[in-house]
Amino acid sequence: MLVAISNLRRYLQDAADLATVEHALVAAGFPVESRTSLDEGDVRLDVEITSNRGDCLSHLGLAREAAAQLGMALRRPSTGELPGNGGPIGSSLILENTLVRGCPRFTARVIRGVKIGPSPAWLRKALEAVGQRSINNVVDVTNFVAGEFGNPCHVFDLARLAGARLVVRLARAGEKLTTLDGKSRTLDAADMVVADAERAQSLAGIIGGQDSEVTDHTTDVVLEMATWDPVAVRQAARRHQVRTDASHRFERLVDPRTIDEASARATALILEVAGGRLCDGMLDAGAALQPLTCVRLRPSRCRALLGIDLTTEEMVRALSRLEITVEPIGRAGEELRCTVPAFRPDLTREADLIEEVARVVGYGRVPVRATMPVAVGSPQASEGARRELGSVLAGLGFFEGVTFSFTSPAHAAAFCPEGLRIITIDDARRGDEPALRPSVLTGLLACRRRNLHAMVHSDGGVRLFEIASVFGEQGSATVEHQNVGLLLDVPVAGKAATRDEVQHGVRLMRGAIEALTGRLSARALAVEQAPPHAPAFDPGAYARLTLGGRALGYLGVIAPETQRAFELAHPVVGAELNLAVLVAEYPPVAVVSALPAYPGIERDLSLIVGDETPWSKIEAVIRRHAAGPFVGVSFVGTYRGKQIGEGRKSVTVRLGYREADRTLRHEEVDAPVASLVASLRAELGAELRA
Amino acid sequence: MLAELDQLEADALERLAGANAPEALDAWKAAYLGPNGRLKAAMAGLKDVPKDQKPAVGQRLNAIKATLEAAMNARRAAMPTRAALAPVDMTEPGLIDTRAVGRTHVLSRVRDELVAVFARMGFEVAEGPELEDDDHNFVKLNIPPGHPARDPGDNFYVDDPAAVAAPRMLRSQTSTVQVRVMEEAVRRGGGQLTSPIRIISPGRVYRPDTVDATHSFMFHQIEGLAVDCGLSMADLTTTLFQFCRAYFGGDAKIRFTPTFYPFTEPSAQFEIFVSLSPGSEPRWIELGGCGMVDPNVFAACGIDPEAWTGFAFGFGVERLAMSKYKIPDIRMLYENDLRFLRQL
Repeated sequence: MLVAISNLRRYLQDAADLATVEHALVAAGFPVESRTSLDEGDVRLDVEITSNRGDCLSHLGLAREAAAQLGMALRRPSTGELPGNGGPIGSSLILENTLVRGCPRFTARVIRGVKIGPSPAWLRKALEAVGQRSINNVVDVTNFVAGEFGNPCHVFDLARLAGARLVVRLARAGEKLTTLDGKSRTLDAADMVVADAERAQSLAGIIGGQDSEVTDHTTDVVLEMATWDPVAVRQAARRHQVRTDASHRFERLVDPRTIDEASARATALILEVAGGRLCDGMLDAGAALQPLTCVRLRPSRCRALLGIDLTTEEMVRALSRLEITVEPIGRAGEELRCTVPAFRPDLTREADLIEEVARVVGYGRVPVRATMPVAVGSPQASEGARRELGSVLAGLGFFEGVTFSFTSPAHAAAFCPEGLRIITIDDARRGDEPALRPSVLTGLLACRRRNLHAMVHSDGGVRLFEIASVFGEQGSATVEHQNVGLLLDVPVAGKAATRDEVQHGVRLMRGAIEALTGRLSARALAVEQAPPHAPAFDPGAYARLTLGGRALGYLGVIAPETQRAFELAHPVVGAELNLAVLVAEYPPVAVVSALPAYPGIERDLSLIVGDETPWSKIEAVIRRHAAGPFVGVSFVGTYRGKQIGEGRKSVTVRLGYREADRTLRHEEVDAPVASLVASLRAELGAELRA
Repeated sequence: MLAELDQLEADALERLAGANAPEALDAWKAAYLGPNGRLKAAMAGLKDVPKDQKPAVGQRLNAIKATLEAAMNARRAAMPTRAALAPVDMTEPGLIDTRAVGRTHVLSRVRDELVAVFARMGFEVAEGPELEDDDHNFVKLNIPPGHPARDPGDNFYVDDPAAVAAPRMLRSQTSTVQVRVMEEAVRRGGGQLTSPIRIISPGRVYRPDTVDATHSFMFHQIEGLAVDCGLSMADLTTTLFQFCRAYFGGDAKIRFTPTFYPFTEPSAQFEIFVSLSPGSEPRWIELGGCGMVDPNVFAACGIDPEAWTGFAFGFGVERLAMSKYKIPDIRMLYENDLRFLRQL
């Protein structure tokens, strides 16, 4: 809302300088967004008005707020008695309101014999100070009063109203109206219009029509002042893509009970600047006016809610400054009966009045204490887990990304498990990414692409993670949970990734997942090769993950089609872990076992097996058949090459043996190792590499 | 001609449904959409169509082409792909090989810092869904039907024509979590609130703002709620003051000015007087909004507003991070360029 300081001062009893007024407005809850210097030391302010304060879309409303803050009296414009010598209004104009719900009140006055001409200097200046253009004396009065009281009003040329009639009705579908902005509009059957006996003359509450516009030749004018349903006005304004000061005010609710004073003021000003004779009376059609709202305020409640030690007198004084009438009721005046003025329809409850008290006495009166009472709780496990997760992954070279929850339908489909439906957002502004992602990886892949295009290098390959929600629908149920998404480059030395490099990438990802589960959970991680849950993954390089038997997620190499869709040059490995499952038992409580007292013996074996034999199988055979003082087996590496032969690989394992109470001798493990080699040969066809 | 085209489309879609392997899909594409495909042939036949029918047939041909291409892309996306490189042994144990350390995201770190300060004041983290319903995002926050805040232009609604009565949406504010926490507390209490609440809810929120250097359609908020017997606005100001001193340093100041939110009454904006980055002069910065929980919100959650009072506050994480680290453009936070992430 644009206001000029000169206009505000018109309503303030005492002279107040700009800084004082501005400060008062801010303290009352009306921040000043910008200020522009005008001639003669005047300043125009752009004041932010919250949506509940339609009454302050007016100079008088803001002056009232400033006056309340400054303890000044408000100077209301006085109209005096309106002279009526134009004959009875009923013989000049007929008014019909068929839409009482959409138009709670419609009033009209008729002034005959006006002389349309330029406005006096004070009126022109008052409008120009808030950036409005002077049009003619009568129209200028309507704009001035709208800015003064916040009641939009409109003038029609009576001679151009067919049948000397005003009808408030719904538009006929397809009805035409050329509005004051020169646009020819086709009306919707839901639009409210003010019409004459034949056709629409204005789009109700929004903009007037050209046909009945006041011109230099006009002699008799109809002054309309009405109130309209905020929702209906908002919808019509959106339909017609037009926003006016009037629609803005009506959308914030103009109370029907405020019309009388504003209409009288507009009438008096028209008579003053354009002459003419006022017809007797005012046509008034609409719903019955509500009595003023009364709200009970308990001073004890006010003190308790604000935490300010206010006296009841201070409360009464504060409310009175906002023109709220307060009378003590109850035996010792322990309650206040507050009558709310018509221009404040937002005040309906005790809490609303308490806020008014606080605003007037100043929020600065609310004490700020140097200490506060606290009940000390335990650290929240989920928070500790999140922080630990971040630090483990950062230590492993992962950068955390924050990517958007949206993706394209094609990317969403590629990551969508069977049985899940993708949810899309109904908004053209999402463009080609309206789908809510079923996987965090869509964002991480897009992020990987961006870094590739920016030619960003990271030693050992780019590694990314993100904690975010994933979405979908299963049957009629919405599915949403938080996942940890992980993505890393397969480190590629040459032009294209080799199989061993892809295998290495998978092991790196698995290493990261093992590090995470090891730090966040006491449960065992199981990795099981499986067919992918969605087409985005390579079917030959995918595994399901479980943690202590609960489904944790998956890891897999991104399929070439998806890799290409994200324009990535080299393979990447992705993984996704369900956050709730991962951190369910955080922090894990480790139980320490004693360190061995005697040295053990390690033996490395290089086993040549079929290429398709997975490590898990080799490990299982070793654990099943290992005999003697066996303590464990670990994986050393896999080698493929000419010496080994096509379709075969050499897997090196390290076997550990130890006695708890003495030093083991080498020859003691020869027999168990030999027997194990025999078992491996029997079960897996494994040969020892020479 | 139009009937023939309908038949062509139906045949093509039927055969597409039967294409179960990438090879079959390639063959289908050649048969229908390729240079010697049936659609091309039908398009070539357009010149023999009577003039008055040409526009209709031409339009139909274009529509079929679009339909078939979309169907093919969907089919391809849903198709099991070939194993790219000879099978990988997924059971080989993990390996740690790190050449460079990574970093958590600056937004996560700021979130964690904020949460840590509030944790010391007894606030526990509570999280809620990002995909919300109308009831939690609006109705129970005292934003009734017809309120301007519900405008489709200001919210991301789910595309679901069946759900007109109960639309779903991406939450436009983390205040939704307040409602869920209060409802849950009342449920646990067998229909009434039995113990105080102090929660802090960080998370993502979504609004269709035009993206520029300071606006994004997705950003992060942090929201606090305290409910107890006899909480006053002085508890609110004290809590935020204590936070401000703990987070920004001992000289930080705070001030409150009136504003309007549907879910608090009285409502306030709060500004802090701080030097956000080392060496810069302290200044007043508008941080967020707060207020006493509106009695309507309590009532909607089944809490007696006469017996309990509460306060709520919220602010944006991005703005804080951007001021603190002098990040010139909000978009840098979501692009995740490693050269940016490494700096923070």
